[in-house]
Amino acid sequence: MANYNIDAKKDMTYDAIVIGSGISGGWAAKELCEKGLKTLVLERGNIVEHVVDYPTMHLDPWDMDYRGGLTPEQKKKHYKNIRSGWVGQDTEHFWADDEANPYTEVKPFLWLRGHQMGGKSLLWGKQTYRWSDLDFEANAKDGHGIDWPIRYKDIEPWYSYVEKFAGISGESLGLPQLPDSHFLPPMELNCVEKHVKGRIEKDFPGRHMIIGRVAHLTQPHNGRGQCQYRNRCSRGCPYGAYFSSNAVTLPPANATGNLTIRPYSIVQSVIYDDKKGKATGVRIIDAETNEDIEYSAKIIFVNASTLSTTQILMNSVSNRFENGLGNDSGELGHNLMDHTYRVGAMGKVNGFDDKYYKGRRPNGIYIPRYWNVDEQTKSDKFVRGFGFQGGGYRGGNAANTESFGADFKDNMLKPGPWEFFITGFAECLPYHDNKISLNKEVLDKWGQPTLSIDAEFKENEKALNKQIQEDAVEMLEKAGLKDVLGFDNEHPPGYGVHEMGTARMGKDSKTAVLNEFNQVHGAKNVFVTDGACMTSSSCVNPSLTYMALTARAADHAVSELKKRNI
Amino acid sequence: MDRRKALKRTGLLAGATVIAPSLFSLLQSCKDEKRLDWNPEFFSKKEALTIASIIDMVLPRTETPGGLDVKSDIFIDKVVANTYDEKGQENLRNQIAEFNKKCQNDFGANFYELNETDKKKVLEEQEKTSGKFSPGVWGTTVGDQEPIGFYRSMKSMAIWAYTTSEEVGEKILSYDPIPGGYESCKPLSEVGNKWSL
Repeated sequence: MANYNIDAKKDMTYDAIVIGSGISGGWAAKELCEKGLKTLVLERGNIVEHVVDYPTMHLDPWDMDYRGGLTPEQKKKHYKNIRSGWVGQDTEHFWADDEANPYTEVKPFLWLRGHQMGGKSLLWGKQTYRWSDLDFEANAKDGHGIDWPIRYKDIEPWYSYVEKFAGISGESLGLPQLPDSHFLPPMELNCVEKHVKGRIEKDFPGRHMIIGRVAHLTQPHNGRGQCQYRNRCSRGCPYGAYFSSNAVTLPPANATGNLTIRPYSIVQSVIYDDKKGKATGVRIIDAETNEDIEYSAKIIFVNASTLSTTQILMNSVSNRFENGLGNDSGELGHNLMDHTYRVGAMGKVNGFDDKYYKGRRPNGIYIPRYWNVDEQTKSDKFVRGFGFQGGGYRGGNAANTESFGADFKDNMLKPGPWEFFITGFAECLPYHDNKISLNKEVLDKWGQPTLSIDAEFKENEKALNKQIQEDAVEMLEKAGLKDVLGFDNEHPPGYGVHEMGTARMGKDSKTAVLNEFNQVHGAKNVFVTDGACMTSSSCVNPSLTYMALTARAADHAVSELKKRNI
Repeated sequence: MDRRKALKRTGLLAGATVIAPSLFSLLQSCKDEKRLDWNPEFFSKKEALTIASIIDMVLPRTETPGGLDVKSDIFIDKVVANTYDEKGQENLRNQIAEFNKKCQNDFGANFYELNETDKKKVLEEQEKTSGKFSPGVWGTTVGDQEPIGFYRSMKSMAIWAYTTSEEVGEKILSYDPIPGGYESCKPLSEVGNKWSL
């Protein structure tokens, strides 16, 4: 693969600028470049070229000094990130530096960031689901937040479009609340998962258990290799078997010859021209030299990740927009959402002692939402709903066994007991007072204002979590599991890493920041298509929707540009 | 003395005249001698001997290598030296001292100085009284976690050090770095020991 063009010195003017190169930024870059626009991608961190820059992709535990452990210096650098439980010696280099990029938790909030080319698309969970009209109509029906300006029919062709390119494996189910994608063959459930599925579907009509729908290739696709079941995804996949910007969207963008990607570029603000009534460019700080630089473009896509995108808009003040770009509504920074996380149940499964599996499947099971999907399933305790992820595996913790010595050691080398867990992801309502704001007291390494994050789960989310745990315990007990343990870690928002909202889409500039094509109200050549744009949160993983909205917005942007409307 | 050589020699001797207890003590003294062969980065000699003795009790050599054969003690020392902060290091020091103090009170000597029977008694009691790990989901503990005592933590570390060593990870456990596909319901007999990765 050709190296990326990172020389943004000779040209200060582009057709389009894309801020950020994660899941949505990568798609914006691909679509705009393929439509012939000279596109500059501004990346806050370093270049991560597919395969070449995956230093840990082949390491076994014993190849690493501390077999995964972090040094005190690394723990300090990631003092917030490590709360997630995801950061190890193998992926440490793909997590942002918490010390250089501080944020203030007015209420507890975990903000996980990936400051490199590809962003968190290198690290994400790859669970990939379409949203439905149950989601797009939710706000209008129960009166929380504002109505989405789009419906399923508006986004459906774009789901198809991005799925066919990205490659999504999964099983069709025909459920209205979880529309089927264009699927590659599904991954397989193991024997215990099949067993539990059978019991749950028999005991609980209307509930389904399927293998997760994932952005992992189960067969070669568009020149990329299929999953080798190593489950070392977050280190970068040498086969390009899962969706990341690095493996999937940026290479074709680069192949057009229209892409320039500038690393170490911290976007300070979008430049708005009061007279022209539109944005004219982007102001950056070079992270290495601290130099201030301005780039011009006709179209600007802001895809810096939910909170960073809004931070940039808030920092983009002008006479026209004194309180942040596109903020006529006063809603910029508000209605922050995330899914609730790590509440569910686990237990042991007897009777499969002679069965095992081969391969480390980077996927688990999914139980689609079954509450409040129709009149029969309406709850009187909460609105909206939740879905479950989980899985079965041979686990156990030998350290807990009350023995030691020769027999203990020999037993420990054998697979442990079968265990099975499910953990819910509940929808969070859009609350005006769940918000972020610019903090000028705490500055980052480059002297820029940082974010204060002030958000919490409220009564509806707590009621959903209560139901998640009750349902999870009930399902696993009825399925015959032993030692069933319900749990709720009462995680604050952020742990789900599905942060959404703060620059929501809506029909009206009085109540929303973006219109139905993700254009900033009052600055129609600025598009926001990452999680910031979301008007509600569904209970369904959002990344596929970002991809589809981005491709749709890019198509609209180029069409409007050609018509000279922007 | 090199342990493998020592075993070979004592094996010959055992076949002739030496009875088991003296064989044991010969090995024991040899083991202690070997412990002097490496310089801990963090542990004192006494602490290193304590850790090594626990590892050897929990994961002795059988038909498969023991914890000390794959240098679990040396690895744990390296981990404590390089990944613990000062507070964590200090805490571990205190725990080892307390553990040895209890051994002194109950049996009159530091753990590594006790005979096999007394060591067993110490660890059997620890197994009953030391807190247990709560289960985890995706890298994080779920539910409440009771305090984990020194012994259980060290046992857990020993298991980790052992199973992630190259020798055990590649040759004793079932090793397959690139499975290539997923076999969802495979007879255990076709795999053998658990997967190392």
